Amino acid sequence: MADDAAEPRPLDVRVDWDRCMGSGNCVFWAPETFDLSDDGHAVVVDAAATDEERLRTAAQGCPVGAISLWRAGAEVPLEEST
Amino acid sequence: MPGLNSTADFAAVPFDPYELKDVVGGTIRDPYPAMQALRRISPVHSGPIDLGEGAEIADPTKPAPVTVFGYDEVVQVLRDSDTYSSTIYEEVMGMVMGRTILQMDEPEHRSIRTLVASSFRSKMLERWEEDLVARVVNELIDTFIDEGRTDLVRSVTFNFPVQVIARILGLPREDYPRFQRWALELTSVAANWERGIAASNALRDYFADVMEERRAHPGDDLISELVRTEVEGRHLTDEEIFSFLRLILPAGVETTYRATGSMLFALLHDRTQFDALYNDRSLFAPAFEEVVRWEPPVCVILRRATREAELAGVKIESGADIALLIGAANRDERKYPEPDRYDMFREQRQHVGFGFGVHVCLGMHLARMESRIAVNTLLDRLGPFTLDPDAEPPHIEGMAFRSPLSLPVVFTPGG
Repeated sequence: MADDAAEPRPLDVRVDWDRCMGSGNCVFWAPETFDLSDDGHAVVVDAAATDEERLRTAAQGCPVGAISLWRAGAEVPLEEST
Repeated sequence: MPGLNSTADFAAVPFDPYELKDVVGGTIRDPYPAMQALRRISPVHSGPIDLGEGAEIADPTKPAPVTVFGYDEVVQVLRDSDTYSSTIYEEVMGMVMGRTILQMDEPEHRSIRTLVASSFRSKMLERWEEDLVARVVNELIDTFIDEGRTDLVRSVTFNFPVQVIARILGLPREDYPRFQRWALELTSVAANWERGIAASNALRDYFADVMEERRAHPGDDLISELVRTEVEGRHLTDEEIFSFLRLILPAGVETTYRATGSMLFALLHDRTQFDALYNDRSLFAPAFEEVVRWEPPVCVILRRATREAELAGVKIESGADIALLIGAANRDERKYPEPDRYDMFREQRQHVGFGFGVHVCLGMHLARMESRIAVNTLLDRLGPFTLDPDAEPPHIEGMAFRSPLSLPVVFTPGG
C-alpha cells in the first residue's frame, strides 16, 4: 500500500448548484480552478490548478457555502485550525 | 436625447458634490476601540449599546435589539437568511428606494438578482476598463495635474464612480451633474428626508423617460438590458426597474468612492506599502481586499429575526432587530492578527467587507475593477505623490459609512 502521508491524494472540489448564486467570489480567489458558466453557476475547471490553502480560502469564502472539498471520498472540514 | 426634459429645472444648477459630504457618514473617527472592548466581553450583545454616540433608549414593547461584533457570528447570521430576514430594510430604505432586492428574502430575492447578475460579472466588466473607467479618471486628472497639488477626494474619488454608473446606465453626459446630485441626495436621506424623497421622485421621472427611449432604441447599457430581460416568463415592471436603478446609486457610487479613498489614505500613511504597490501593480488585489477588510465603506448590515434563536449563547427574540457590525467583525482579533493594522502583505483571508450570504455585494467585481483602474491611473500619471504637508491632515470618519473627507496631496506638476 502506498503511504498516504507521503503523497496525499489531490483534493476534489464540488459545487452545489442549488446553493450557488454566481457571486464569482470563488473565481476571484482561485481563478485557475473556478469559472462562471453562462447561466451564472460556478464550475470547476481544474481542481489541481490552485494550492490547497487557497482552495480552502475560496471554499470558506463562498457566501452561500456551496463549495465543498473532498479527499478520497470524504469531505474535508473547512474550519480553520486556530 | 429627446424626452429627457421633464426635470430641466435642475439641469443648469452648478453642483459641487462636496457640499453634501458631512451629512452622509457621521463624524466619529475611531469607533474600533469601543467595538473591540465590547467584543471581548461577548461577540454578541442583547440590548442597547453605546459606541460613543450615546446608547439608544430601550423600548420595552419591542424585542431587545441585538448587536453582533464577532466575525464567525456575523457569518453565521448572514448565511442563515431563513432565520435572519432582510425585510427590516423595508422600513429603513423602502420608502425612499421602493421595493429593492436589498429587502427581499428567498426565493424572490434570487429570482430578481439572477436577472441583473450577468451585467456585474467580472468578464462582462472588462469592456468598461479602458473605454470608460480609465477615460473618466484621466479626464478628472487632466483638470489638476499641472497644479502639482490637489485634494484627491474632491477631484477624483468623489466624482468617478457616479460617472461610471451613469455610463453603464447609458445616460447622456450632460445629465451627469444632476444625476450625481440626486444620487447623493438620495444617499443622504437620513440627514434630509424631504430632499431625499424629492430626489427619489425626480429619479423616477427621469428614468421613466430614459426607459421609454430604450424600449424604442435598445443599446448596450444596463437599462436596455433591464427592459428587455424576463423572469419566469414576465418582464420586470417599471416600478421594479425604478427600484433597482435607485438602489444602484448608493450601492454603486457611495461605496466605491469611499473604499478608493480609504485605500489611498492607507497608502499615503505608509510609504513602504505605497512604494511596494507603485512598483508592483499585481499587489493591487490584496491591497484592495485589505482595505475593504480594514475600513469597510459600509460598516453596518441589518437583519430581523424571524423566530427565536441563539447566537454565541445569547438569546435572540423573534422579531428582534439585529445590527451586524461589519467593521468590528473584520477586525476580530480571533481571526486577524494585529487587526487594526492595514497590511497588504498579511495572510489573505476572507472578510465580510462585501457582506456575505445570498445578499453578498452584487457589485464587488465592479468595485474592484473601478478602484484598480483609478488607483493605477493616479500612480501612473502623478508619480509617487505624498500627503500635502501644508494642508490639514486627513482623517477617516463615520459610523455607518466611513472614508476620508479629504486627501490633500502634492506631486511634481505635470506628473
